[in-house]
Amino acid sequence: MVGKESVGSRIFDLVNMVLMLLLCVAMLYPFLNVIATSLSNSEHILRGDITIFPKGFNIGGYKYILKDPFLYSGYAHSIIYAIGSTLFMLTFTSLMAYPLTIPDFVAKKFLSIFLVITMFFSGGLIPSYLLARSLHLLDTYWIIIIPGCVSAFNVFLFRSFYQTIPADLRESAVIDGANDIQILVKIMLPLSKPLLATFALFGIVGSWNSWFEALVYLQDENKYPLQLILRKYLFSISFDSGTGTEVMQAMLSQMNISSKNIQMAIVVVVMFPIMVIYPFLQKYFVKGVMIGAVKG
Amino acid sequence: MVSSHKLIKACWKQRYFLLMVLPGFLIVLVFSYFPMYGIQIAFKKYSAVRGMWGSDWVGFKYFVLFFQDPMAMRVLKNTLLLGVYSLLWGFPAPIILALLFNELKRPVFKKVVQTISYLPHFISTVIIIGILRTFTERDGLFNQIAAWFGSEPIVFLSEPEWFRTIFISSNIWQGIGFGTILYLAALSSVDPTLYDVANIDGANRWKKVLNINWPHIKPTTIILLILSLSGILGTDFQKILLLYNPDTYEVADVIGTYLYREGIMGSRFEYTTAIGLFQSFVAFILLVGANMLSRKVSDTSIW
Repeated sequence: MVGKESVGSRIFDLVNMVLMLLLCVAMLYPFLNVIATSLSNSEHILRGDITIFPKGFNIGGYKYILKDPFLYSGYAHSIIYAIGSTLFMLTFTSLMAYPLTIPDFVAKKFLSIFLVITMFFSGGLIPSYLLARSLHLLDTYWIIIIPGCVSAFNVFLFRSFYQTIPADLRESAVIDGANDIQILVKIMLPLSKPLLATFALFGIVGSWNSWFEALVYLQDENKYPLQLILRKYLFSISFDSGTGTEVMQAMLSQMNISSKNIQMAIVVVVMFPIMVIYPFLQKYFVKGVMIGAVKG
Repeated sequence: MVSSHKLIKACWKQRYFLLMVLPGFLIVLVFSYFPMYGIQIAFKKYSAVRGMWGSDWVGFKYFVLFFQDPMAMRVLKNTLLLGVYSLLWGFPAPIILALLFNELKRPVFKKVVQTISYLPHFISTVIIIGILRTFTERDGLFNQIAAWFGSEPIVFLSEPEWFRTIFISSNIWQGIGFGTILYLAALSSVDPTLYDVANIDGANRWKKVLNINWPHIKPTTIILLILSLSGILGTDFQKILLLYNPDTYEVADVIGTYLYREGIMGSRFEYTTAIGLFQSFVAFILLVGANMLSRKVSDTSIW
């Protein structure tokens, strides 16, 4: 850096700084506003004067949603789907990627082509739905967990990661009498912990935030993930308008809460786990994107 | 048959490997290849009783039906316009932000701003839409801001002319921070001595951006542009599904949402499979075309 800076350069720095602060406000304000609204008194919500701090203090919205059994079943199912799909993804992807690093593996070429084709062509929504229907997988946990758990892209990423592990390690293990399953479990996987951690987080967040598959494949509300319960609160239950809402309105005003308290409270509850692990999450995600970029 | 004997022997020798790839192979076979096989119902009169293979062929009937459907033009136009506008506004945004990030001098401040800017990327679409709905209500934040400028309250989500603006700007809000990562990675490879040389030559900051930073991110830009071009029809219809309503169908209804309504809700399986096939076909052509174009113009290609 040269000591003297021109006036123009310093003005730019100032403007840039202001832009960055505005950016931070734009990114954070909506979330802070949601939290504040969920905790505010209904009069303030109706007046619309809440910014980033709660006005009054009212946990009625939280009390209301915590009484809903679907909230708990939604949480439980989201956890099942997230952990299930992530475990299967890591297991099957590792298992499939490792043999593809062995130069004289008999099915290497066939499998590579078999996987590449799926990167360019797919059956699409309707044929996938019909398949699930004819396999009697609608309304089961499997249809949420299994179909997306092996993707060509991930297999190739894992393969290129394993390829960075020196081949001598495998050769010496073979000489020591280890079979290839032992080599994968005892040598390859421990060495690829950062990769596995990154993809575990990718998998968990992806699954936690997904909702469309559940909407298409599940009719049974008892199996809904949290996102669909949230959707129901935000959309199907219209507290403020339409017919038959007088009872609801009366009940809410008796409890001294507004429908916004309830909606924003459930948004906070759904967002909570992601927010808690966010600092940790974003670091790994940045790494994950880099791994993808090196490959792609 | 010496060779097949050899193959069997090799397979037996590598039985552990074959066992390892088996679950992945089966999952891909069933959940990726079976649906591809199922595409044939786009050309058939599908009967659940007679099965996929037993149903009668009807040729291109459903494709013809689609192109005669007045809805077809609407969804094609909406899909294309949303794609083009999203690309036009959304593609340059993270590049500009990455260049601005790169000009920040205090590492801690830079790190904090970056971390905050990634946040919306991790929040689910359902939550984003929930917040967006609240902000766009008659007495919501957007109308409060509009009121400072003397504007009458607007119910944004019922106004077709506002739909694209809201959809695209919220997409940018969600993706701009996270989208900078690849560009920042490219910028971090700039050799610092280049700046020293430029300083000696008396280059100002704009010149340095233009002559040093831009050439470094150009290859990344081109590859991401190819991918975006080929995905131009792949608008995030799941988000639209949460954001649109019958008031805004005229601008918001895209191929994906139409497929969902007609196919899953309306059980018009053959017709919607045909539309889906048409969409994948166009997307594939776009990918190949964009890649060829880029290879010609800049020697960069994704394969």
